[in-house]
Amino acid sequence: MLEMLSYEFMQRAILASIVIGLVCSIIGVFVILKNLTFIGAGTSHAAFAGVTLGYLTGFNPLAVAIVFSLLTVWIVGYLNKKGALMLDTSVGMFYSLTMALAVLFIGLMKVYNAEVYGYLFGSILSVTKMDLKVILILGAIVLLIVYLFFKEFHFITFDEEMAKASGIAAGWLSFLLLNLIAITIVVSLKSVGAILVFALIVTPAAAAYQLTYSMIRMFSYSAIIGVGSSVAGVLLSYWFDLPSGATTVLFVSGVFFLSVIFSPKRRIAVNSVD
Amino acid sequence: MNDNVIIRLLNATISYQNRTAIRDVSLEIHQGEFVGIIGPNGSGKTTLLKSVLGLVCPTSGSIQIFDCACHKLRCHHRAKIGYIPQKGQIDHNFPVTVAETVMMGRYSSLGLFKHPSKKDKELVVNALAEVGMADYKDAPLGHLSGGQQQRVMIARALVQQPEILLMDEPTTGIDTPTQYSMIKFISGLHKNLNLTVLLVTHDINMISPYVDRMALLKTRLYAFGTPSEVLNEKILTEVYGQQVIVTTKEGGTYVIAGDYHHHA
Ligand SMILES: Nc1ncnc2c1ncn2[C@@H]1O[C@H](COP(=O)(O)OP(=O)(O)O)[C@@H](O)[C@H]1O
Ligand SMILES: [Mg+2]
Repeated sequence: MLEMLSYEFMQRAILASIVIGLVCSIIGVFVILKNLTFIGAGTSHAAFAGVTLGYLTGFNPLAVAIVFSLLTVWIVGYLNKKGALMLDTSVGMFYSLTMALAVLFIGLMKVYNAEVYGYLFGSILSVTKMDLKVILILGAIVLLIVYLFFKEFHFITFDEEMAKASGIAAGWLSFLLLNLIAITIVVSLKSVGAILVFALIVTPAAAAYQLTYSMIRMFSYSAIIGVGSSVAGVLLSYWFDLPSGATTVLFVSGVFFLSVIFSPKRRIAVNSVD
Repeated sequence: MNDNVIIRLLNATISYQNRTAIRDVSLEIHQGEFVGIIGPNGSGKTTLLKSVLGLVCPTSGSIQIFDCACHKLRCHHRAKIGYIPQKGQIDHNFPVTVAETVMMGRYSSLGLFKHPSKKDKELVVNALAEVGMADYKDAPLGHLSGGQQQRVMIARALVQQPEILLMDEPTTGIDTPTQYSMIKFISGLHKNLNLTVLLVTHDINMISPYVDRMALLKTRLYAFGTPSEVLNEKILTEVYGQQVIVTTKEGGTYVIAGDYHHHA
């Protein structure tokens, strides 16, 4: 069983899945408690449009994806701050706009490019040395920033206005958080793909939410579920020759439903009805 | 004239995009005063509190807090002001414990990149003991009653070790006996910690025995003085737009009216 670890591609896949599982599940806690799910979903489409433009123009697809996803959160954040549009409305526009761009870029390519579709559905077993480097560096940056500003993020997640009133630079930190979401999506693109990445961000945190009333503990539970599921996804897809992204998402969704069933919160809800 | 003035408004007008919330208000609040702010809905009470935090600033006139102009108020000033916003019940399932909530009050004083120490944890425990919530340290915030949540919010403000305490309708949505014990408790804090307290409320009779002065606001400042000066039938009737009767009983001044809400 351990012989698979002697394959370099397996070592890379497992290392990548640990980092991605960790980064996604930590960021996911902020995403679900601050109701940023939709902006994350919109950003992953923008990132995919970036990948297609990268292939079309010959630039590094992940680099273009980062530019696209950061631009999306900057523009959406700006429109929201100026009071021009509700956040969900502008995200909704970008959601379709960037998907249209992706379809357009793919159309312009003339030849069928299988690698592009890898970014749509993910293929962690084909992570290259270069991919792994990008994943490690970007993942480390996101985790370091979260660690450094943890208490500030914690406070704005609880109540942004109260945080600002008590002397936290809340507007600036909220914007930083949107940027971290964008980077997290790009980090995960290669392994789970643009369509499925959001499950890896939202689902571990949603499962952890069922299990605790402490925000601090929610971070640890989410990290354990996220890393566990993402490694399990790699192993299952290797053993049974399944698509890795889909396997990971189905696994983590299974964990989520189990956590709903065993949630102490449900039990209290039932008791209080009695 | 007075060197212990901690908040000073001079002809301050605060407007939002198309609405003036406060017009031409001048008042001085002294260090250690307990001031009640009353007025109908939409009269600018919340705006006044936010201006003390520098979250909104005057479009004309000036506001000074700790000798610092409103728009120059920075994070380290805000850290010395405890603010308890007008709040609805928090989501029953939101994952935050009582101790975690109170610890957030320490965050701004800690400074960037510093994580809470043992001493911060002690301060949290002490603040919870002070508000009588020590036994609920690990309870989910959402499981507490409105009055208990309000006490936790006060503890969160207290661990900031503030000089000023701002409270926006802290007793709204709490049952009457709890409201009275809450006001008594706040008055005790004011005395023991020598805090400057600004408290917004609709319940004039409840606070009048405790406050040093009252501000009656309806965009303009209609009256500012001791309860017996401010609780004047003519002014109250004008501000609330309906007949109001003021009586004195056992030394206190009380107001009787059917409904405090202003109908435009
Ligand atoms: N952020 C805002 N943008 C625009 N108008 C506002 C805003 N906040 C308050 N107002 C308006 O300013 C006036 C005063 O509001 P507020 O200070 O909340 O009054 P109060 O707390 O006495 O009910 C109201 O007419 C309100 O509609
Ligand atoms: Mg108000």
